[in-house]
Amino acid sequence: MSGAEPSSRRAATVAFDHVTKRYPGTDARNPGAVEDLSLEVPAGMICVLVGPSGCGKTTSLKMVNRLIEPTSGRILIDGADAARRDVTELRRSIGYVIQQVGLFPHQTIGENVATVPRLLGWPAARRLERSEELLGLVGLDPASYRDRYPAQLSGGERQRVGVARALAADPPLMLMDEPFGAVDPIVRERLQNEFLRLQADLAKTILFVTHDIDEAIKLGDLVAVMEVGGRLAQFGTPEEILAYPASDFVARFVGADRGLKRLALSRVASLELRPAITARPGDDAADARRRTLADPFEYLLLVDAEDRPIGWVPERSIPTSGVLDESMAASMSPLLDRRTTLKDALAMLIDAEVQAGIVVDRRGVLRGLVTAEDIVAAARREPVAPS
Amino acid sequence: MIRWDVIRGNLPLITAKVWEHLALTLVAVGVGLALSFLVVIAIRDRRRLVGPVMGVFGFVYTIPSLALLAFLVPFTRLSFLTAEIALVGYTLLILARNLLAGLDAVPSEVTEAADAMGYSRWRRLWQVELPLALPLVVAGIRIATVTTIGLVMVTALIGFGGLGQVMLRGYNFRNDTLVLVGFVLTVALAVAADLALAWLGRAVTPWSRARAGTG
Repeated sequence: MSGAEPSSRRAATVAFDHVTKRYPGTDARNPGAVEDLSLEVPAGMICVLVGPSGCGKTTSLKMVNRLIEPTSGRILIDGADAARRDVTELRRSIGYVIQQVGLFPHQTIGENVATVPRLLGWPAARRLERSEELLGLVGLDPASYRDRYPAQLSGGERQRVGVARALAADPPLMLMDEPFGAVDPIVRERLQNEFLRLQADLAKTILFVTHDIDEAIKLGDLVAVMEVGGRLAQFGTPEEILAYPASDFVARFVGADRGLKRLALSRVASLELRPAITARPGDDAADARRRTLADPFEYLLLVDAEDRPIGWVPERSIPTSGVLDESMAASMSPLLDRRTTLKDALAMLIDAEVQAGIVVDRRGVLRGLVTAEDIVAAARREPVAPS
Repeated sequence: MIRWDVIRGNLPLITAKVWEHLALTLVAVGVGLALSFLVVIAIRDRRRLVGPVMGVFGFVYTIPSLALLAFLVPFTRLSFLTAEIALVGYTLLILARNLLAGLDAVPSEVTEAADAMGYSRWRRLWQVELPLALPLVVAGIRIATVTTIGLVMVTALIGFGGLGQVMLRGYNFRNDTLVLVGFVLTVALAVAADLALAWLGRAVTPWSRARAGTG
């Protein structure tokens, strides 16, 4: 999704100002209701609304484009009260993506993507150009997808078209309601990653609803945890919510493994790397053996002339004389880079034969080693408390 | 049995009656469709009215056609209007029920997406809901058309009837050829209309044949 030219980086601020929605027939739990919600999302941020079903997260989302009208309170978009704007004009300026996608079955993919431009009265040539640009942006070849119907696409492809349609008129604000909830886990992971890459270019303001705390932590710049009854339980960065849950409810909702989840938020770049004992094929074996014996770690890392790792040589397999050669490398650890999350790094290390991850730069050159102990120690360190 | 000279001699009459038959059918289905559309649009968001309205249409549908014509003649005499009131009456149940079912079958996520994209209510109806209701609407039009082509014959009793007139004349003059011509042409008309509408229905809903892998 990253290759095509980005749209403009227009983004809006969104603020909920004491927003309440009550439904008639006051069931004590009142699922879907929202109680006195106030929060502000700065321009260009992804804010994830997360909570159990019935907590009012979808209701909150739909009040922004007025599919649902609040009982009281105001929603301000760039400081202007949404309730005072013409409702169709408001909706055409807000992107909307839902789990079931809701593509129009009787229109081709190209026509679907160009929906809002058509409603806005763009000329046909500009609509066509825009829908092709957007299909490319979400990773679908315009030439082969433009003239198909939604029924001819897979779930993942439909979801991409849904995102393209929502972006068509370059809205400064996007609303997304469990957009990746209906696809299988592998496709979901890929769509999430593409979504983050796309957002790095577009920098839209995005309100994103999910019931999945892991998705919230992965995607959110800000996370709003809501509880049944429509109350905001906590609003903050993913780090703050994992490190300092504001209540028992939040602590239970984020899960007992929140220490592990925090690992998903830090990257290898945040660790101090250990130096590795290295040698090159052709080096003196006796010298390499002596240096390895002097180190508590029992492995020598064989690297090539450019310092790119070849593999581990266990201490006991290093000959006492002669020279080293590539065939002595018995095994290899997973290669990590500075952007690898600590969670992924730990997962890879648990499965690795040699308990050290090799960190390389973009050219594959060795930077240092990371052990599972380093990662656990980093997870124990207290994060900075929210101000 | 079949006397070709009778057919040749009555050709102008037969041709005129085929056209009359088609015209009576077309007006009945057209007016029925327009009425059903207005009624369905009026009641679809007032679900309490759906039962009673469909009940009335259902009741009209059960009245024997001869009885309905006999009932109408004192009010509207032996007129085109009388014929059409009866014919339209019989199309309402089928057309209104299919139109409502077609609109109800539009997936809720599609109408929600349309609202969220900024469609106005009417634009949503014309550009999203009605196109998606088309397969069921066309199915209704096919049934209503074939039914009406049959019913048109009965209106021969009040001086219309298209090919019904040809058959009636055949009975009155003990002319088997005219009876047979009326019968065969009516059946042919019904079959042709049904096939034409089926083809038209497919032509206006190209998406309904699109399935994974066929693109």
